[in-house]
Amino acid sequence: MGSTFRESMAWLHTWAGVTLGALLFAIFWMGTLSVFDREIDRWMMPDTRLAASPTALSLDRLVDGVQTLVPADASRWQAALPTAREPLVQLRYADPDRQPVTRHLDPASGTVLPDQGTLAGTRFIFPFHYNLHLGWRQLGYWLVGLAAMAMLALLVSGVVIHRKIFADFFTFRWARKLPRSSLDLHNLTGVLGLPFHFVMTLSGLIIFFAIYFPNVIESVYREDVAAFAREAYGLFQREPAGQPGSLASLDAMAVAATRIWGGDPPYSVRVWHPGDANSTIEMRRTVARSVDMNVDTVHFDAASGAVLRTHTAPPVVHVQRFISGIHFIQFDHWPLRWLYFVLGLSGCVMIATGYIYWLETRRKRHAAQGLPGVRIVEGLTVGGVTGIIIATLAFFVSNRLLPLGAAFAGYERAALEVWVFYLVWLVTFAHAWARPGRAWRGQCWTIAALAVLAPVLNWATTGDHLIKTVLDGYWPVAGMDLLLLFGAAIAATTAWRLHRRGAMAAERTERHVLKAAD
Amino acid sequence: MTNVLLFIALSLAAYLGFVLLALGQARHWRAASEAAAPGRIGKLALRIAGGVSLSLALCLALFRDGPSFGALLWTTVISVAALVVALTLSWRPRLLRPLAALVCLLRPDGTQEKEGNNR
Repeated sequence: MGSTFRESMAWLHTWAGVTLGALLFAIFWMGTLSVFDREIDRWMMPDTRLAASPTALSLDRLVDGVQTLVPADASRWQAALPTAREPLVQLRYADPDRQPVTRHLDPASGTVLPDQGTLAGTRFIFPFHYNLHLGWRQLGYWLVGLAAMAMLALLVSGVVIHRKIFADFFTFRWARKLPRSSLDLHNLTGVLGLPFHFVMTLSGLIIFFAIYFPNVIESVYREDVAAFAREAYGLFQREPAGQPGSLASLDAMAVAATRIWGGDPPYSVRVWHPGDANSTIEMRRTVARSVDMNVDTVHFDAASGAVLRTHTAPPVVHVQRFISGIHFIQFDHWPLRWLYFVLGLSGCVMIATGYIYWLETRRKRHAAQGLPGVRIVEGLTVGGVTGIIIATLAFFVSNRLLPLGAAFAGYERAALEVWVFYLVWLVTFAHAWARPGRAWRGQCWTIAALAVLAPVLNWATTGDHLIKTVLDGYWPVAGMDLLLLFGAAIAATTAWRLHRRGAMAAERTERHVLKAAD
Repeated sequence: MTNVLLFIALSLAAYLGFVLLALGQARHWRAASEAAAPGRIGKLALRIAGGVSLSLALCLALFRDGPSFGALLWTTVISVAALVVALTLSWRPRLLRPLAALVCLLRPDGTQEKEGNNR
């Protein structure tokens, strides 16, 4: 552990980084992609690439379409209303078997769009970021929470063990040997990105306080834990009367809610106990216009349209929602969206270079002493860094290759894409351990190939090629294609440099051997 | 349009602020310019100018977006700006030569500042 404070912090930094780095990279990578989750949705769900509707959506007309879909005895349905980034209505309800269903509706015509058979960005990449899709006993949330705590410790211990924070503030000696240049880049992204990485990690933990510290709520609301949801988030329900009831105009309710919120429109409409005499309508205020993710809610009586209850966040919830808002980035602010993306990538670079530094400073010693450490960690690094990028690209490519309605071995299309992701990721780990030394290069070439294939397949299957989307100014898809091609260029350059370096090293050894023979 | 211009202006102010701070360090000065590195007072002046430029970026961000978005915008912009400065210094340090020349021109004696000259 070391005898001085700095030495023990170095020990902590090294071990936490090496053991949890691959998990942290996965969380950072998926979080970075989640910044553009809605755009990924448009790319992966071609039928939802709708132009923004010129006329305002009529909720009353929408209800007619909804009533044909939602079972008569459903306890509720919810519609997320169109936004600039998501120009469609997202309808959520439970089917007769009580399974949750999500359907997309065209806001202009009210027609139901064909099921796209994918979890895409908002339902695969985004949840992966915070629960790794490990639902069992909330294991995924706890692993991510553990990684986040480790990340905070890594950031603080990293600052402690950094010898020359201000002297090296802008220093990147990229032409020097790998241990030096990778450590410079690790320090650079770590120090300069510190405010962002620290705030993101801490706010991520604060978002899920109810999971990580459930006893906080239990100790305060001993008698009635549900009271917390009522007081904090404005949860409000009425028991169904069992008598049929009518539904007043939803559009009029939306106008009333907008007036209460000083001009902010609702982003979601929820109907509790539809068709019942005690049915209530819950409208939630848009979160697109401020950092703070408000929990403002208005409840209406369905039959009369009268306001039953309005809710706004009490002070502590307000603070929690402000911190959450910084993390969730649900507001409309394009410069910030891109800055988050770039800083998220800088976090990925920080983790990857940390690994590379660890490997390069130990490679010779481990080889000399016959230790397996470098070989194990190198496989973990390659699979954790280039591997998850390949798996993500395979997820995109499989999305364009599988026909709508495809099914295999009892799995539906959406599940097949997820299988492709995990299987490909496993293969990258196997490859990394089986071919040490060559795995980086091979996986970089694979990234380049897949990242070119994805836009080509998008063109072939949807007709939306890059020239068309750029000329039309359809940026969700054009941006995704451009970023894929940009990533392909970086991966190919990296692979080429690794290839050349490998060739040069081989030539050097050959010369040595020849000289020795002379 | 004003919003775009303000964003460009505040990004440039953040970039310039960090360039000035970096030029206040002998190592980066030598990478950018062949002229002699500034002395103690010159370094201090560069750091103050850098700080002023970063503060200007903050004012522009707050003016553009208000307190909550503005503060968030400034914090993220300066992180990215500092990274870009570091990459400029390692890959294209000569791009900063005109700025270093301008700094030389602004020196009291026009050429080189020695310690204690301005005491």
